[in-house]
Amino acid sequence: MAPLLDIRGLTRRFGGVVAVKALDLTVGEGEFVSLIGPNGAGKTTTFNMISGLERLDGGEVRFAGRSIQGLTPEAIAALGLARTFQHGRVFANLSVEDNVLLGAHTRLRAVKPRLPVIGPLAELVLALVRPPAVKKEEQALKAEAREILNLFGERLTPRLDHPAYSLSYANRRRVEIARALALRPRLLLLDEPTAGMNPTETAEMQALIATLKGRGVTILLIEHKLDLVMQLSDRVYVLDDGVKIAEGPPEKVRNDPAVIEAYLGHREIGRAASSVEVVAS
Amino acid sequence: MSSFIDYTVNGLVVGNIYALLAVGLALIFGVANLINFAHGSVYTFGAYIGWAAVTFLHTPLPVTMLIVFVACAGLGVVIERVGLRPLQGKARIAPLLATIGLSFVLDQLVQLVFSPDPRAVPSDLPDWRLAVGDGSIGAMDILIAAVGLASAALLYVFLRFTKLGFAVRATAQDREAAQQMGVNVDAVNSAVFAIASALGGLSGLLVGMYYNHIDPAMSFQATLKGVVAQVIGGVGNVPGAIVGSLLLGLTESYGIALLGTTYRNLFAFVLLIAFLLWLPNGLFGGRATIQSEPLVGSFIAPSRPIRLPRWAVAALALAAFALPLATSAPYLLQTLTNAWLAAMLALSLTLIAGTAGQISFGHAGLLAIGGYASALLALDLGAPPILSIPAAGLITAGLGALLVFPAFRLRGHYIAIATLAIGEIVSLVILNWEGLTGGAMGLTGIPPLSFLGQDIFSNRAIYWLCLAIVVSLAALQARFLNSHFGRTLRAVREDEIAARSYGIKLDRYKGLAFAFGGFGAGVSGAIAAHLYSYLNNQTFDSQLSLLALTMVILGGMGNVLGAIVGAVALVGLPELFRVAAEYRILIYGVVLLLLIRFRPQGLLGTV
Amino acid sequence: MSIFSLSAFGSLAKRAALAAALSAFGAAAALAQAASGEPVTIGVSGPLTGPNAQYGAQWKKGFDLALEEVNAKGGVKGRPLQYVFEDSQADPRQTVAIAQKFVSDPKIVVEVGDFSSTASMAASSIYQRAGLVQFGFTNSHPNFTKGGDYIWSNSVSQADEQPRLAKYAADLGFKHLAVLYLNTDWGRASEKIFGEAAKGYGMDVVASEGYQPDEKDFRSTLVRVRDAKPDAIVLISYYADGALITRQIRSVGLTTPIVASGSIYSPKFIELAGEAGNGVYTESNFFPGDSRPEVQNFVAKFRAKYNEEPDDFNAVAYDTIILLADVMNQYGIDRTAIRDGLAKIKDVPSVIYGKATFDPQTRRVAGARAVYLVVKNGQFTLWDGKKPSAG
Repeated sequence: MAPLLDIRGLTRRFGGVVAVKALDLTVGEGEFVSLIGPNGAGKTTTFNMISGLERLDGGEVRFAGRSIQGLTPEAIAALGLARTFQHGRVFANLSVEDNVLLGAHTRLRAVKPRLPVIGPLAELVLALVRPPAVKKEEQALKAEAREILNLFGERLTPRLDHPAYSLSYANRRRVEIARALALRPRLLLLDEPTAGMNPTETAEMQALIATLKGRGVTILLIEHKLDLVMQLSDRVYVLDDGVKIAEGPPEKVRNDPAVIEAYLGHREIGRAASSVEVVAS
Repeated sequence: MSSFIDYTVNGLVVGNIYALLAVGLALIFGVANLINFAHGSVYTFGAYIGWAAVTFLHTPLPVTMLIVFVACAGLGVVIERVGLRPLQGKARIAPLLATIGLSFVLDQLVQLVFSPDPRAVPSDLPDWRLAVGDGSIGAMDILIAAVGLASAALLYVFLRFTKLGFAVRATAQDREAAQQMGVNVDAVNSAVFAIASALGGLSGLLVGMYYNHIDPAMSFQATLKGVVAQVIGGVGNVPGAIVGSLLLGLTESYGIALLGTTYRNLFAFVLLIAFLLWLPNGLFGGRATIQSEPLVGSFIAPSRPIRLPRWAVAALALAAFALPLATSAPYLLQTLTNAWLAAMLALSLTLIAGTAGQISFGHAGLLAIGGYASALLALDLGAPPILSIPAAGLITAGLGALLVFPAFRLRGHYIAIATLAIGEIVSLVILNWEGLTGGAMGLTGIPPLSFLGQDIFSNRAIYWLCLAIVVSLAALQARFLNSHFGRTLRAVREDEIAARSYGIKLDRYKGLAFAFGGFGAGVSGAIAAHLYSYLNNQTFDSQLSLLALTMVILGGMGNVLGAIVGAVALVGLPELFRVAAEYRILIYGVVLLLLIRFRPQGLLGTV
Repeated sequence: MSIFSLSAFGSLAKRAALAAALSAFGAAAALAQAASGEPVTIGVSGPLTGPNAQYGAQWKKGFDLALEEVNAKGGVKGRPLQYVFEDSQADPRQTVAIAQKFVSDPKIVVEVGDFSSTASMAASSIYQRAGLVQFGFTNSHPNFTKGGDYIWSNSVSQADEQPRLAKYAADLGFKHLAVLYLNTDWGRASEKIFGEAAKGYGMDVVASEGYQPDEKDFRSTLVRVRDAKPDAIVLISYYADGALITRQIRSVGLTTPIVASGSIYSPKFIELAGEAGNGVYTESNFFPGDSRPEVQNFVAKFRAKYNEEPDDFNAVAYDTIILLADVMNQYGIDRTAIRDGLAKIKDVPSVIYGKATFDPQTRRVAGARAVYLVVKNGQFTLWDGKKPSAG
């Protein structure tokens, strides 16, 4: 069976700089794959290309059996791809609940009939008239949003109505993940979900991601906290200067001399590439 | 052929004048990321200072120029210090509005001090002319070009080679970083406003001498042309502003050559739209300009809106409905009817600008479309108002969304400028399409409001009708916002990238917002048409668009009840200030400034 | 300075009342029959702020002068006459509110204004239904008085004015005319009538260019005009824009003679146009050199009071108050009486018309007086009948 995400020869240049060079990467259904590497290695650029925000200068991205090259981010999202952002992009003036509900936008059916031309007008009328099917759908989504937020224990549930800007940094990152889950993604891209979190919060996040993995969510993760990566990943890709320098199961990558060299060479890490934390900028 | 040379020379001469304005605007935009709507007022102020110097002190030109330069630099510092610095860290929209408020105040002060009469500003330049083609250029043309080029050159030297200039550039690149590196950002801002305002005032003086004519109402047009020129050149780019100005001057001149004088501004605004669509960063702007535009998400002030309980809203509505039973004072009812008509407009704008984040400076254009649609349906097809008004609403919804559609991919300031241009284009098309609209003569004899063949004249009936429409539109809008549309549009406003990444098609939702909002605005324009019985191209002017925006901000962006409160306040306040006669717009400007300063999220808060 | 302009602060209503009272008091010392008692109030709707504020300011000067004169002679039926000036910014949204204010205020017996047709005509139906005369003295829009039998105007009809201007051009010996007109309802209507009249006199209009009120630059327009090879340029303009164009015509080196409509008649035109104004042909409904007693009286008093030369707007404003006072004195001080009186009154002395009489059908005055003028040495002077030399 073809992998869920199949990337071949992915390339992106900015001016003279090659940010990502001929990257091959696959993620199978149900797999947990991590993408690591020093800052500026091209990880987030790779995410941006997969999710349609950045154009490709070469190569191909196939998702769920079809090429998604040239598709808009919204079309790719509709195919079941959800992502979080490196620095967090919650909707600041929206409530926690609305943020999560927006994650489910692609799943709206009753209120968004798939009609050509008059689709938008139908959506408008249905939203105003609100027949039972539409009401039911909205209720169901709200119940589900609460369920998702329950995953974070008591962190978010008491703050359903709070605007996102009023939340702590860690809570905003949690809202972002909740929003991504509401899309019921076939593939979830997590871009440094623990950046800027203290050890307790990190442990909590790690437990959450483990839960997601346990539920069979397919995940591609960018992360600097290598403990987390090594404990959760099925496979790990290592990027340096836009080039893949290693891939394989965590134990193999951990001891790869090229990886150690890359991290040490960049002087971003003290000892071996194992348990040391690199804080994202 | 010789005419072609003349048109070219004339285009460059006028472009030259625009350049003086655009350079200052570009400088301020570059550093403060702000369209300074008060720039035209500084220009007027400079012109009058110069006039006073020449008239009362009989100063020679160099001295006059020096006086204007110094006085306007001082004014710039005051504007920055008093009007804008306190707004740092507030929502992005706040300084923009503050400049609008400042322009009201400055224009009115100039008018009160110097009287509204136009004045002649004699210059003591020699009456010397150089023949070019069949026309000629004079000493004043050369002086204006010289001042334009010299100021650009001096600016270049200042920015490149002085310490303060370096700080200015650093601040323009990245304000936070500059601040962290120890740049005194306040001093930089102050310096930039001083320089830009000095140039603005100088251009007012020179243009006043050039035409031998200054008047206190010349500000708005000056700002408008300066903004257009600098968008063409690349927002915030000084050399770009000069080239953009020349290009604008040339386009207008060739436009006149092609179709005639009355099409001049149409060419200017169509050029602007073309640039926004195909070259949104202008001639000289880098690609990064739009990418780093940080307006989205921080444009409106974060706040916790005041939520009135349902019973209180219902009680207010009931009281409004009951009012005509308690009093029949026609003036009060008419003023409130005006407020309800304005509220329909404000509801429309608060949805589009507040909820969906598409700041529109051209909303009067939607009123005009609605007004003309209903009037023409009634006059040409004999449709009764009860049909023509909703039809006009639908036409406005469709046409409005269609007209703005090309601008959907713009953001922040750019959408504001684009809508401003689209509003002007609507008004110019109305002026020039005489066959349909009657042009400047307008449409007369528009039938009054009627129901089942019965004309409605009673103040009470009209009041109730308008109030009922406002309440229905507000209820409908609240229901709309309470559905998935509310959160979806707000998501579009907050962060387009994140919204798209979650499957939101921007065009679809912006389009629906404009359509929904367009309906209300169209209905308002249509009712006004039947009430006034006469419309022409000046009935819905661009000042009205600015007024609508202030209503929305006063009430709280996106806030449905706030829009109504804002409309009642801003229609009512000038009426209350009526006793102050000439001073009332001044008071209005000051109130607006205080409001922006102390409650930028509006009375009821942004939603 | 007169007591009228001293009280710069405070409510206008109060100002007017105070002014009337003071003037009544002052006049009483001199004249036995000075006005006293409950004042009679005219409602004025016009621009005091906004882009047309200058015209509102000109009105006031004309009004104040006329009031002084009326009240010194005993006011209307022995009561002092006053006005309340409501600032409309010439904005239709505000004129309708002002209209409601006036119609519901029993003290207001007649309304005067507004400035533009856009603003005035929006309010007409309110005045008409309430039975309060709307007297639009600057409203030349041909449909203005069609608003109903309470809608009147003594604005000079363009149907009178423009053919006369065309005749002047013909008398000057011109054949090919280029017309520049202000692209408002007034300018557009005037341009149409002028064009037809010019044809009637055997001239042809070789170019016709409408410009926006806030236009400042005409150089490219003038290339078009020049290329049409007219032997005269006709300006249908107000004084400010007329002066701008005149200057630019000369500064681009065109020597084509200029004929301008009477609306440019103002000392401001001379001031703003400077040297370039010399040689401009125009006509005026009034001319300070005119020996008619109404004109001499008006000009002398205006100069004495304001120490400046009156213009067209001052004159029509003055005429309007004199006329309304006359109507009230003859036919009574209530709203209906004023409407009926306007239809009946004959031969009111007028600066603009000589003797003003309304046509009860059109509710306008026909037969405005006019003199042919030419600017010489920075002064409006009577045309000496000399045609400009060819070329």
